[in-house]
Amino acid sequence: MTTVKDLPREDYFLSGHTACPGCGGAMVVREVMKVLGPNTVVYMPASCLLIFSDMYPYNAFKVPSLQILFETSAIAAAGVKRALKRLGKDDTTVVAFAGDGGTADIGMQALSGAAERNEDILYVCYDNEAYMNTGIQRSGTTPFGAWTTTTPLGSTSEGQGKNEFKKDVPRILMAHDVPYVATASLGFPADFLKKVDKAKAKKGFRYLHVLAPCPVGWRAESDSTVDLAKLAVETGIFTLLEYEDGVLTLNREPRFTPVREYLKLQGRFKHLSEGQIASIERWVKDKWERDRALAKALGPKPKVPVAIVR
Amino acid sequence: MAAQALAVAASHDGYSAIAFPFFGAERRGAPVLAFTRFGEERLRVRTQVYEPHFVVVLDESLVETVDVLAGLRPGGMVIVNTTRAPDRLVLSKKAKSATVDATTIALKHTKQAAVNTAMLGAFAKATGLITLEGVEAGIMEVFGRRLSKEIADRNVAAARAAYEATRLGEGDSGRVYAKATKWLPTAQELPPGLATPPMETPFGRVGVGSSPSNLTGGWRVNKPVLDGAECTNCLLCWFYCPDGSITRGEKIVEIHYEYCKGCGICAAVCAPKAIHMEREIEEEVKA
Repeated sequence: MTTVKDLPREDYFLSGHTACPGCGGAMVVREVMKVLGPNTVVYMPASCLLIFSDMYPYNAFKVPSLQILFETSAIAAAGVKRALKRLGKDDTTVVAFAGDGGTADIGMQALSGAAERNEDILYVCYDNEAYMNTGIQRSGTTPFGAWTTTTPLGSTSEGQGKNEFKKDVPRILMAHDVPYVATASLGFPADFLKKVDKAKAKKGFRYLHVLAPCPVGWRAESDSTVDLAKLAVETGIFTLLEYEDGVLTLNREPRFTPVREYLKLQGRFKHLSEGQIASIERWVKDKWERDRALAKALGPKPKVPVAIVR
Repeated sequence: MAAQALAVAASHDGYSAIAFPFFGAERRGAPVLAFTRFGEERLRVRTQVYEPHFVVVLDESLVETVDVLAGLRPGGMVIVNTTRAPDRLVLSKKAKSATVDATTIALKHTKQAAVNTAMLGAFAKATGLITLEGVEAGIMEVFGRRLSKEIADRNVAAARAAYEATRLGEGDSGRVYAKATKWLPTAQELPPGLATPPMETPFGRVGVGSSPSNLTGGWRVNKPVLDGAECTNCLLCWFYCPDGSITRGEKIVEIHYEYCKGCGICAAVCAPKAIHMEREIEEEVKA
């Protein structure tokens, strides 16, 4: 099992990329690539990652990388994998790195299709909770109350940040009954690396949803990326879970630090009213009740004797 | 935004003015371009500015890689954010110059290394074309409307302080730049197909795995400094560094500065506090 100390010195996502200082997405990609190693092909849709890793004539990946369209991450990666298989290179990992917009909104139908066909790819969503590349527009995974340029602050109760709660993409993927769905956070390296390791080893469709704080879009300090990733989990706002071959496990019981601790570090939540904070607290509570019930229902199956067919 | 504020300032002072950025994929801290054009007559030219009368350099480290005087008109002036005196600038040719330590001013007044508004104050002082009142009106209009009045006020204070601190002089010639720093191949030189394979060019490596040709260290304001005696080699900084600027050494980690953007994450995750961030100053202010 990979721990931080076992990671290779070699990078496959190289320095010189043009991500903002303190970019959570760049961290996710760099660490995932360290685990996946040289025998990998990368697909990226339009995203921050594409812009900061592949600015002509430079390219930050040491392995082949490919871009087609925003909505095609899962299907294009699946096509690459099928072609490689045909060429006898089935041992090559094909990974798609997409942002939350390219996953939860624009890439959803291709993602759902590829998951339903159980294509043999690893799909990593680095979730920075808005369309950061184009200038902080709301996405399906933007949390309740967050300011973005398309959920601006106005004078009415309607105009106080996003009115909807975050779309739960891992749960959508679980409904596809794929071999592996997991969420991870940069704040918990051991858990994160364990999940990337597992996802690499498995066959079939694997989905990894990693929270990747964006200091620019979240209006936070550039050195707070890791703290935010930790606090998101410890406040219960982001759940670390794993759905493996039909069994759902909640990986970490959070300390339930008050959500304010997490919100106050971010300028995008600066305007929140007491009522909105109470809504977030209630949402966290409801989510944990639901997830616990789900984990109970989808927990390890008791061993039942197989009926003998006479 | 500062280019826009300058245009508003010029218009406040009775000129007609336009401003616009260079459109690209800018990231926070990356080198960018923006243009302002103003004059007494109605402006009919809408192109980028190729032959400026004034060049404003927001980050001194740019001077090392970009010939900022390229295209500068005779008698033109360069205004640089630096701790140096104007006479101590070494550029590609002799030119009138003005300097101001806008980073210190911006950190003091706005708590951020966003130096653009301070540089507007320096521009007003150095050129004398725009009044300080105009600059204030420009900042209030652009920053006050898009951010908040409080932020605009702080930026006005920064512009005022920079106006007072700006020094005038003449920069020296003698810096030599490579003829071209960009790889601009002709259609014939490009390999067939849609992908760029790894290739060595006179301008460095391009294609797959070539990003190390692109040094991003110049983006930095603060730099991490390691106290080797305190380092426990837990490798968290090495794990988290988004730019791969920390390597594993024999016993402890090593920090490299070619790509470090100064985000400060290594210092934030360091449990024994062996890494701290300090302001990077190329040369102390000479009184």
